Amino acid sequence: MSDQILEQMSALLDGELPQDQIGLLVRRMERDTELKRAFGSYVLIGETLRAPGGITASRGFATQVQAVLDDACTALPASSGTHPARRAGWLKPAAAVAVAAGTAFAAVLLIRPGDQPGSSGVAAVADVDPVPTTIADFAAADSASPTPEQSQRLAGYLVAHSQFATPIGRRSVWTSVLAQDPGIARVAYETETAEGL
Amino acid sequence: MRIARPALALSLVAAFCPSAHATPEEARAWLARMSEALATREYDGLFTHSNRRQSETMRIVHRMEGAYSVERLVSLDGSGREIVRTPREVHAYLPDRGVVLVEPRTDGGSLLKALPRPGAELDAQYLLKVRGGSRLLGREVRIIEIRPRDAYRYGYRLWLDEKTAMPLRSEICDQAGRPVERIQFSKLDMHTNMPASETEPSVDASGFRWVRSARPGSDRRVAMAAAGWRPLKVPPGFRLVGSRVQSLPGHPMPVQHLVFSDGFASVSVFIEPGSRTAPAPAEASRMGAASTFTTTVRGYMITAVGEVPPTTVRDIATSLAPVADAGVTPPPAR
Repeated sequence: MSDQILEQMSALLDGELPQDQIGLLVRRMERDTELKRAFGSYVLIGETLRAPGGITASRGFATQVQAVLDDACTALPASSGTHPARRAGWLKPAAAVAVAAGTAFAAVLLIRPGDQPGSSGVAAVADVDPVPTTIADFAAADSASPTPEQSQRLAGYLVAHSQFATPIGRRSVWTSVLAQDPGIARVAYETETAEGL
Repeated sequence: MRIARPALALSLVAAFCPSAHATPEEARAWLARMSEALATREYDGLFTHSNRRQSETMRIVHRMEGAYSVERLVSLDGSGREIVRTPREVHAYLPDRGVVLVEPRTDGGSLLKALPRPGAELDAQYLLKVRGGSRLLGREVRIIEIRPRDAYRYGYRLWLDEKTAMPLRSEICDQAGRPVERIQFSKLDMHTNMPASETEPSVDASGFRWVRSARPGSDRRVAMAAAGWRPLKVPPGFRLVGSRVQSLPGHPMPVQHLVFSDGFASVSVFIEPGSRTAPAPAEASRMGAASTFTTTVRGYMITAVGEVPPTTVRDIATSLAPVADAGVTPPPAR
């Protein structure tokens, strides 16, 4: 993957990519599976780096991830791009990790995506909202990839249900259908009940 | 039977709710504007969808074909799955499964049928607040906060563009106000006369298995039996707003589809004959803000799904029972 593509993805996530290049990049991402995956890893890692304290994995696991990130940052050669300030931000370790360690990517998947108002690299809220902003945890009994039949059956139910949801609700349901299957988690009701009702 | 449509009733929320920073009328107007913008404007956006387990970047394209809305949602960095809503059907492309699910569009694609309708039942379930003074994506936004009064439903926070009323960021929250799911746009462009090619799927579906709904009435006996189920008790505020027997893609038998709503959140329950094997244990799962619960009752598999907490789908699914006095008794398990 060329530095130019990395720069463009970084600029896109920063909201700085020129309009005439956005469409080209998006269409390229739609066609290029590798590019899709790389972009996904940048989004995840970027959010992780912007959300300290949002770790849901064990402390030891998080430390290992951070060590990988640190090593990757150290190992990354100097940027030759045109946006050194941006590349010196989160993209540099992101790019390094993406090519350096599959284990790091797997680890990042276990890190809760959270953000703080105003801290997002793509869009900032000017005033501070007095509301929680960390993605809430829930009582998960376990998680397992469903069988193809289960996956298809759930997708069918969700698509049918989405037609009777609000516009916001429908978007939420659709994103659940589009999400990868490991996004499904079984629920432990004992804890759920103790927390909520 | 036509199912009453809780969908698109966002303006209902504001109808009788107090607001700390705006009159109920103002809040109602904002939500109505948002619903109209989502249904009628042409737009192309990139957003990040985050929940506890993962984060994915998606693209949404919405355009109009006369009075019909056409929409395409595609995962850019994850599964590669796409959903395209044409004027007549909803197509879910699942390239990881080599399958396309095809569901008839129940509203007929008509824009007029999709516009919000006012209602008054929400005050007992939600509180509404409107806040302003923020910026997102360089635009002035208003924040609409919809708080649930109990743990049977989620709340919402919506950051609406002052100019277009489009939601630039939305969060679905639990009763404590903690987000369980977030959608945040990094780019949103409004268009006019968007080309149809923008809503064409990028997935090459040649060789995929197209799974369509079976023709209704393919097994009337089972359909009639499945129609004899009703809830004994549902969570506060929820009521049965519709029932129909339909076919679902990949399901050989007709399925009874019940829809429950509190005027804002909705839950669908699907009832279908179970397998010949022993009943599977009840199973609950969660995907972002969507919860599902599946159980087996008298040889029928009952699955509840909805953008509500897990407790709500469980309570609704387990409340269903055959309606003996309706003169319809489910047959034994096949």
